[in-house]
Order: sequence, then C-alpha cells, then structure tokens
Amino acid sequence: MEQRNISRSAKVLVYTVMILFTVLTVYPIFWLVLQSFKTNTDYLTHSKLAFPSTWYLGNYAFVMKQGNFLMFFKNSVIYAGVTVVAVVILSNMAGYAFAKLEYKITRLLHGLFIVGILLTLQSILIPLFLMVNATGIHNTRLAVLIPYIALGLPMGVYLCTDFEKSIPDELLEAARIDGAGFMRIFFSVVLPMCAPVSVTLAIITFTGTWNEFVLMSLMTSSEKFKAIPYMVGRYAGALGSDYGKLFTSLTVALVPILVFYAVFRNQITKGVAAGAVKG
Amino acid sequence: MTTKGEKRLAYAVFVLPAVIIYLAVVAFPTVFSVLLSLTDYNGGVIFGNPDIHFVGLKSYAWMFTEPAGNFYTALKNNMLIVAVSVFGQIPLGFILAYILSRKLIQRGNDLFQTMIYLPNVISSIIIGVLFNAIIYGRNSVLMDIRRFFNPAAVYTISDKPMVPILVVILWMFTGFYMIIFLANMQRIDPAVIEAARIDGAKESGILWYIMLPALSGVIITTAILAISGSLKSFDLIYAMTGGGPAGQTRVLSLYMYQSAFQGAPNYPLANAISTVMVLISIVLIIVTMALGKAFSEKEV
Repeated sequence: MEQRNISRSAKVLVYTVMILFTVLTVYPIFWLVLQSFKTNTDYLTHSKLAFPSTWYLGNYAFVMKQGNFLMFFKNSVIYAGVTVVAVVILSNMAGYAFAKLEYKITRLLHGLFIVGILLTLQSILIPLFLMVNATGIHNTRLAVLIPYIALGLPMGVYLCTDFEKSIPDELLEAARIDGAGFMRIFFSVVLPMCAPVSVTLAIITFTGTWNEFVLMSLMTSSEKFKAIPYMVGRYAGALGSDYGKLFTSLTVALVPILVFYAVFRNQITKGVAAGAVKG
Repeated sequence: MTTKGEKRLAYAVFVLPAVIIYLAVVAFPTVFSVLLSLTDYNGGVIFGNPDIHFVGLKSYAWMFTEPAGNFYTALKNNMLIVAVSVFGQIPLGFILAYILSRKLIQRGNDLFQTMIYLPNVISSIIIGVLFNAIIYGRNSVLMDIRRFFNPAAVYTISDKPMVPILVVILWMFTGFYMIIFLANMQRIDPAVIEAARIDGAKESGILWYIMLPALSGVIITTAILAISGSLKSFDLIYAMTGGGPAGQTRVLSLYMYQSAFQGAPNYPLANAISTVMVLISIVLIIVTMALGKAFSEKEV
C-alpha cells in the first residue's frame, strides 16, 4: 500500500470513525441474537446487556413449530422467486425493444416507466386494494405477485434499456442476416449478453420483494399466504408478552437475508449504486 | 430478411406484457386515486353505486383544516426524516465513502463497507420491532441503562417521540449513501488525483478541489433520494411506534394507511393524502429530469 499524505493522528481518527460505525451497526444485531437464547424470565430479571444465564433453545423450537416459520419461509421464496424471474424477463424484453427496435412511441412508454421509479407504493394502495377485491383475487398469491412484478418493472426497464443500448448493432444485424427472427435473436443473443444487468436486477428485486410488508399483509388475509415480514410484523407496535420468543422470531427471520447478503454482498452494493447513479 | 410487419409484431410482443401490467397496476391506480379523492366513496361497490357523489376538494379542505392538524404533523415528520438524511446521512455517508475510496485505512476496507451497509438489507419491520423493544416500555434496554445510573428512574412517554425514530433511520440508512458516494468516487479518474498529488496537493486539497466538484451532481441526486425515501418510509415507523403516541410519529404514508385500513375507514381523506404524495413525487420527478438535463449538458 502506497503512502498517503495524512498524519499519524489523522490516521487514528479515521480508524476510530470506521470502527465506531462498524460496532454501532453490528452490535444491535449481535445483541438480538444473544437475547434469542434467553427465557422470558432470564431477559426480565437480569441485565439486558448480559449474556444468557443459561443458553436456552426452547424459543427456537417454538418459532419453528408453533410459529410456522417454514410456511412463511416457503411463501417468501415463492413471492421473491416468481417476482424475480418475471421482472428480469419482462424488463429485458421491453428493454430490447426500447433500445433496438426504433419506434416513436418508445419515448412515451419508456418515460412512463421512468416516472414509476420515484412513485411510492403507498400512494396507490387504496385503488390497488379495491381492484384486487373487485377482480376477486383477494387472498390469493396472485394478488401479491402481480403488484410485486409491476412495481419491479420501472427500475428493471430503466436498467435493461440502458444496458441493451450498448449491444453492438452489427451483432444483431449479423444474426438477422443468418436468418434468425426477433424471438430467436432475443433469446440466443440479447438475453445471454444481458447476464450482468440481469444479475443486478435480480438482486435488487429479490431484496425489495423479500422485505416487503404492507402490500403482502393487505392483499391476503389467510396466514397460509403470508411471508416472513408478516411473521415479524405481528409483534409490531405492542410489546410482546414473551420477549424470548419475540427476539427469536426476529433472529430466525434475519437468517435467510443475512446468508443472502454474505453470498451476494458485492453484487448487492453494485446494484444499489447502478440504480442510483442517475437518480 | 425481416419485413416491416414482423418488426412491428416483435415490438408489440416484447413491450406489451410489461406495459400492460405496469399500466394496470401502477399508472391506472395513480389516476384512480386522484379521482376517488374528489368523491365521497367510502367502501363498498364502486362502479354503478348511486351513493357515490362528486364532492370536489371537500376532502382536501377537511384534511388541511381539521382541528387536530394530523396532516401537518405527518408532513412535518416527513420533513424531519428528510432533514436527518440531508444533514446526517448524506454528510456521514460522504465522509465514510471518502475514507474508503481514498484508502486512508490500510486494512479492513471491505469488512467496514460490508458491515456499515448491513442494516439496509434487513427488513425495516425486523429493525422496527427490534428497536421498539430496545427503546420503549418499562422492560426496554434503554430503561435498564437509565436504572443503572439512577435506580429510581421510571418509564415515561417522551415528549419528543420522533427522536428515537430519527436516530434509527440515521443508523439504518447511512450505509446506503456511503455506497452511492463510493461508487461515484470510484468513477473519478485516478490519474487526475495522482497528478494533483504529484503537484503537492494535500488530502484536504484533493477533497475540496477534485472530489467535491466532481460529485456535486451526485449530492443533488442523494438529496432527491432522501425526499423520495422519506415518502416511502412506512414499515419502520409502523413497527416501532405504530404512529403513536396519539399519531405524533405518523408520516404521510402511515397517516394514509391508518385512515383507510385501521379503525373506521375514511377513504376520501386517505385518497387526498395519497394525492398529495403523488404530487410531491411528480415535483421530484420534474426536478430530477431538469437537473439531469442541466448536468448532461454541462458534461458535453
């Protein structure tokens, strides 16, 4: 590492800032995991900053069995999985047409999607709720999936159009001369070349969908269609009577996304930057 | 060779699925919500219901003038969140990104970055419920700490209920701005910085004369993201305080949600709040586009 022109004291300051921030971020999560091993009595009668007096595993058994964690997890996987696949394919398709098949209407249609990036979900919640009720799909997975896919499209179309503009026209011309139709060109030339932007888009869409709460809560009423955020959201506002179970629910809900982050952290931060570079 | 008709068909096939689902689920409801806000519709059948009347701006008038001033409380809280972003997260994020991008520390760059961004991937609902238990109530961690210093301390409801929420928001999203600044700092040509260094520029000079001017556009972008982020904030407050006590920590989105879906529904009011949110978004979009144009012209 080359020498930088900063003094020793500046270096100490810089390290202190970074370490302080890191500890502040990580400690609450570490604390949470510790509490999941306490019984309710242990939590209430001892210092809340202490380690568990005995490492109690009963909370986990409760959350997995009575808490129905696996059912919520399955729904989360279905919602996130279907949404990611649909958003990636639909965005790439539209992006290809917007970037490579020239029509005047593209300006209008593409613009409509861009406007959607800054719109907020909450401002269309009531009409969506009414529409879902009117079409009779309330309390089905479809009532959650369709809005999820639609809400993923603005960012997806923006990223894909931008990326697909960089595919050389000569390549597509060559494929066409070889007799490939538009469908063939899309699936065997464009889509494979778009792997980088597709991965970025998949990751942005996944984290957004996995953590979404209000739409999923509103569009379904039976527990069998709810996902992980609902499992945790039940504890919202009022304090739970059993802290051990509360903290264990939170911990268990954290695990999948932490694993996901550990695996894809570089792509996640890259994706966030890509989505925000141009606002 | 392809014909004109084939190309047109291909365009339609590629574009229509996305356009139809987007128009149906996002664009149409946006317009629908504005229209509903001008009626007295309050649940039940919508189409062909003779009990729905056009009432003009009545709901807006009520929203702006009702004695409790709930709308202004919510709007003020939204602005507080923007303020925390602009005066807290953006400068802090900038400093952290600067330290990381200039490699002012030799070891652990990757680890620091990963850890500081971590809260952003966690569901706001989880964070909200967690900090609810840490901050509020007789059995909270905060009370434990207070009792440590003063055994006679008793739990009281704070008279500044937004403060804990703002602290958590600062805690949670600073890493987001750090990542955005970091990505843009890495796009600055290192040769420029190297040249300045060879000419004897100090770190402070590099920061002031190279980094800050190069990032002026990004700083404006982050401010816009802060405003749209504030409009989108819902889950965290819902889970942390539920908008309480007495609606004092509500933001616009939560005020809208509670007007429509909790207690006795008041759809006209909720739709009026939604419309205000849409209007703020539209202003943001126009500002973003104008700025985008201004900056791209500058680059040319």
